[in-house]
This record gives sequence, C-alpha cells and structure tokens, in this order.
Amino acid sequence: MSAQSMDQRDRPTGYLPEGADINRNIAARRLRGAIWQAIFVSSLIIGLLALATLIYTIVDDTFGYIAVQTKVDPEELTGGRPLEELSKEELIEILRANVPAGLFRRFDRDEPFSERSKESVLQLVEERVVGREVVAAYKLTESLLERERIEATVRERFPRAKLEFHSWINREFLTRPMSSVPLLAGVGNAILGSLWVIAITMLLAIPIGILGGVYLEEYASDTWYYRLIETNINNLAGVPSIIYGILGLAVFVRALEALTSGAMFGVTDSNGRTILSAGLTMALLVLPLMIINVREAIRAVPQSLRQASYGLGATKWQTVWHHVLPNALPGILTGTILSVSRAMGETAPLIVIGASTFVVFFPDSVFDKFTVIPIQIYNWTSQPGAQFRSIAAAAIIVLLVTLLALNATAILLRNRLRRNY
Amino acid sequence: MATAEFSSINASPSNGKYAVELKNTHIYYGAFRAVNNVNLQIERQRITAFIGPSGCGKSTVLRAINRMNDLIPGSRLEGQILFHGKNIYDPDVDPVEVRRRIGMVFQKPNPFPKSIYENIMFGPRINGWRGTKQQADELVERALRGAAIWDEVKDKLHQPGTALSGGQQQRLCIARALAVQPEVILMDEPCSALDPISTLKIEELMFELRQNYTIVIVTHNMQQAARVSDYTAFFLMNESRAGELIEYGPTTQIFQNPQDERTENYISGRFG
Repeated sequence: MSAQSMDQRDRPTGYLPEGADINRNIAARRLRGAIWQAIFVSSLIIGLLALATLIYTIVDDTFGYIAVQTKVDPEELTGGRPLEELSKEELIEILRANVPAGLFRRFDRDEPFSERSKESVLQLVEERVVGREVVAAYKLTESLLERERIEATVRERFPRAKLEFHSWINREFLTRPMSSVPLLAGVGNAILGSLWVIAITMLLAIPIGILGGVYLEEYASDTWYYRLIETNINNLAGVPSIIYGILGLAVFVRALEALTSGAMFGVTDSNGRTILSAGLTMALLVLPLMIINVREAIRAVPQSLRQASYGLGATKWQTVWHHVLPNALPGILTGTILSVSRAMGETAPLIVIGASTFVVFFPDSVFDKFTVIPIQIYNWTSQPGAQFRSIAAAAIIVLLVTLLALNATAILLRNRLRRNY
Repeated sequence: MATAEFSSINASPSNGKYAVELKNTHIYYGAFRAVNNVNLQIERQRITAFIGPSGCGKSTVLRAINRMNDLIPGSRLEGQILFHGKNIYDPDVDPVEVRRRIGMVFQKPNPFPKSIYENIMFGPRINGWRGTKQQADELVERALRGAAIWDEVKDKLHQPGTALSGGQQQRLCIARALAVQPEVILMDEPCSALDPISTLKIEELMFELRQNYTIVIVTHNMQQAARVSDYTAFFLMNESRAGELIEYGPTTQIFQNPQDERTENYISGRFG
C-alpha cells in the first residue's frame, strides 16, 4: 500500500483510486458489468419469446375441435358396418348407386375400377358419397378453454354435425397427396418432392463444394484473381434466393429445356419445370454456402499437422488426403447439413422456376412436375378458410421437425467425429 | 544411409565431414530480407545449436535447411544450401525428397490425432514403404526404441498419440521422424513447451541420436545449448532487422572464449 502511494507521487500522470475511492470504483465497475449482463439476458429472453410465440401459433392451429357433417350417414349405406370392412366390389356398388352415371363412367375412364386398389375406391366413396365435410374448425386454445360454448354453437348452427377432436397432423396427412378438400389433403407428395430436389441438390453441391473448397484453401495461391473469386463466392452466398430462381428459369427451365424436361432421354409429356431444374437451381444456391463452410472447416485444421506431414516427406496431396480432409470432416459434414436445411426451406426460387402448387400425384422421376413442402405451405396459407390454415400449420410442423432432425444429426456427427489435437 | 537410390541428390566424396553447408544464404519473406548472408558448415554426427534472441532468424535458417520455408507464401532464398554437395534449392531437387532425408521436430509436439502405431507408420507408408505386418511392427518398435519411448508406450500402441504427456508426445514426434530414416534431424526449440524432467529426457536422447544422426537444434535456453551441443552458432538481428550469423564455433569456445563482443554480451546475459 505504502509502496503504491509512493509510486503515485512519483508519477504525475494518472493515478489509481485509494481508500473510499477504491470501493466506489469497484461498485461502479460491477454495476456496469451487471447492466451489460442484463442486456444480454434480455435479448436472449426476446429470442425465446419469439420462438415460443411461433410454436404456440403453429400448435394452436394444428390441433382442435372440428365439426364434421356428412351428406349421407355411412351406416345408412352399409347397414351398420364400417366402410373400411367392406370389400372392393361392395364399395364399387355403393359408388355406382350414389353418384350420377356419367361421373361413374368418368372415374372408370380415368382408371378402370378393375385396376384400382381398394383404398382408392374407398377414398372415392368417402369423397363423393359420404362427403365428410368440415363445417367449422376451432383452435386448440378455444377447444380446451371454451368447450361448452363451441358445443352450443355447433348444436345451434349445424344440428347434423358431429363435434370431434382432430389432429390435423396424422398419418394420412403425411402420406396423402394434395387435395382441394382440406380434410383429405396431405403433404405426401410434397415430402417426396422435397426429398427428390434435395437429393439432386446434394449430388451436385457436395462434391463440387468440397473439391472447390479444398482447391481454394490448399492449392490456390494468394493472387488477385483468386482473391476476386473468393470475394465473389462470399458475395454470392448473400445474393437473394429469388435471383437464383430467375437464373434457374433462364438457364435450366428455358435454355436447357431439352435436358431438364427429359426430351433428350425420350420423356415427352413434360416441360422444363421439373425436379431436375429445381435441384440444379438449388445446387447453385447452396454451392457458395457449401464452399465457405468447407473452407472454414479446412482452415480449422491446425497448421502444425500439415507441417508434421510435410516434415516427413509427404506430398501436398498426401497431406490433404491423410490429414487435412479427415480432420476437416466434422466441419464439412456440419456445413453440408446446414446447406441441406437451407435448400429444404427455400421457396422463392422454386416459385420462379415454376414448381406447381397443385400436384396430386407422386413424382417418380427427375423429369416430373413436383411440389415441395414450403410451397405447399405457401399455397395453403393463401387459401381462404380456417381449415387451410390448420393444414398449413401441420405442414409447418412437418418442415420444422425435418429441419430440426437434420440439425440434430449435424451436431451429433460433429461431436462424434471431433478430434483433439 | 543408402543414398544411391536417389536420383537428384547423390553422395559426393568431398563432403565427408559436413552434412549441410550454407553458402552466402539470404532468406526473404516477400521483399523483406529476414536472414542476411549466412555461411555455415554443419558437421556430420554432431549436435549444432543455434542460439540468439527472438527474431534473429535462427528458426528461419533451420527451416530453410529442409525447405519447410517453401510452405510460407512469398518466402525465397538466395545463395546455396548444400546437402551431399548438391544445392537443395536447385530446380531439379524435389523438396519432398529433401524433407524425407532431413527430418524435423517442431516446437509444439504435434502428433497426428491417430494411434501411436499409425503415427510412426505414416512416414514410411507415404514414402512408399512395402512390408509385412511383422516388418511394420519391427519398424515401429525400432523407431520408438530409438526415441527412448518404447518402454512407456509398448502396451498402448493403438491408443491415440495425443493422449500422451507433452514430453512423451515430443519423443513420439522424434520417433516418427526417425521412422523415415533421415540423415539430419532439425529440432526447432523442441523443449520449450516441456517441463525440466521431460527436457532432460530429450537431451539424453539427443546424445544417443548423435551417434547416427546429425542434429541441429534451435534453442532459447543457453544452458541447454552449452550442455548438449558440440557446435554453437550465435545469430543476431542487424540494423535493418535481418538476422545475421555473428559467431560460429565449438560450443566450449563460444561459451568460454567468445571472439565477438556481442556474443559475450549475450551469453553473459547482458541482453536478449
């Protein structure tokens, strides 16, 4: 203490507080720290609140009471047996008896009844004869808190309707294709469409991204043209996705139509607005992201490992193959899965290149028309009516769960493969 | 060591005494001259120590001897570094071959994140080694014995090399360097990250290795240089911040009877 004060007398500029000043100074520093900490915590809380609101809104729309009304009571048709237990022939008979003859012939022309599966006929009966129709849908909060009011309203307004608790997300929803009737609509073909597009995207973006990243990081010298390429890649990662959509429309859908429509390979009933075009466009979109991630991962491999390898007489390629790539792998995988997530959630470019919003069949080749989950969501949210909002919410849950699963895989892989240097 | 199998660097009878000779060597990083005009002859099967304050270019010179500086963009060398009478900076010399024959141990132990066994076998494998499993086992044992670490790791050859202690890791790195049968081993402050006991072990090891290998060591620790080396080279930065060789000679002479005033000032601890 005394040495310190002596010291102070020697130094004319600046001083350290003493006595009561020390305590005041410490208190002031602590207060400043506490204020900043409170700011950090509150921004975290804002984030959590936003997330909670999002989840609440979606879940609120996905579950809840629906009032269902049928044109005909199914038990009257079958004499008390459930529809599912009937044979295909009995179902065809019910259909023949209850729809106009012209319509029945059209169904037969579309796909002969002899070739249709029982499920397909059952679906026709449910759609055309029974005509289950949701006349009112309620949110989860209402359903839980105001049950009596809902029951009273439904009794009064739809005396024939039955009130039941419904989860809009269910097995049928995940497997069925799109339909104009919300109760019968599903995301089955959108899920499949998303998987197809992602597969094409990854098939292109992963190898090109890794090879390009390795070249830029390990081989390219620090010259002006490589710096230019680098700057461009970084900027491309920030280009709005709709621009990629326009690029895809001009290049893949129009200029390369012969390739993307499959005309080159003998597919005749298609135009360029196919899964292939979408996958190629998405690959362009995630490629900069992929390259940046790969480069980050490679840069994180310690220089000391490279030196050790070179010091033993390894060539550049041996060093890259035996040490740089294996050690960068966790990072590369994380980057890959982040790119997949990005491609899965992208909507705008696919709208531009013309993904169809109403596709009722399942895609089975890259030259098919398609729809993807985000586009399906976009389509449903723009339809009037509470029920479309509910199936949109259900589709959002499907998308979010898929993305969450992908990110969780990324984290698990990274932790498992992470090495200690 | 067998040298006839190499095409670009051949043994010549005139270089019997010296393993490596630096002649009028200047080293540049871009336009900056980092090392100025070094002339130095490193004797075969002796330990030569490079000492000097930080930034005096001793590490740069060391790394020039096996062309590790090539990895730094913009680095360039003028003059000659002779190895078996051949300038290793000649265009017809492949740096990969130079590095195989002049091995290196680094300041921070840097075992590969693989098993001890794989750490040793990596060098031979990438250099085209072919042999049976048994021969590989022998090679690993020989290298680990050579680096005086066999007894400590013989039961855990397939455990990661990164799990060893710092001193053991450094000896593993030496064993790894020995496995490719170099003639010269360059050590860049190999003990600066180690505790005194590990340091002692490495120093004892260097004495043993001296019988078969030429060793060049950069060290900040003057006692270490005095203890282990046969020859000492003292480097210092000149006015334009380029490293220069001030004095070179037998270690006893440098430490007991330095010819240059600056050397005397440095080893007596007056600066640096």
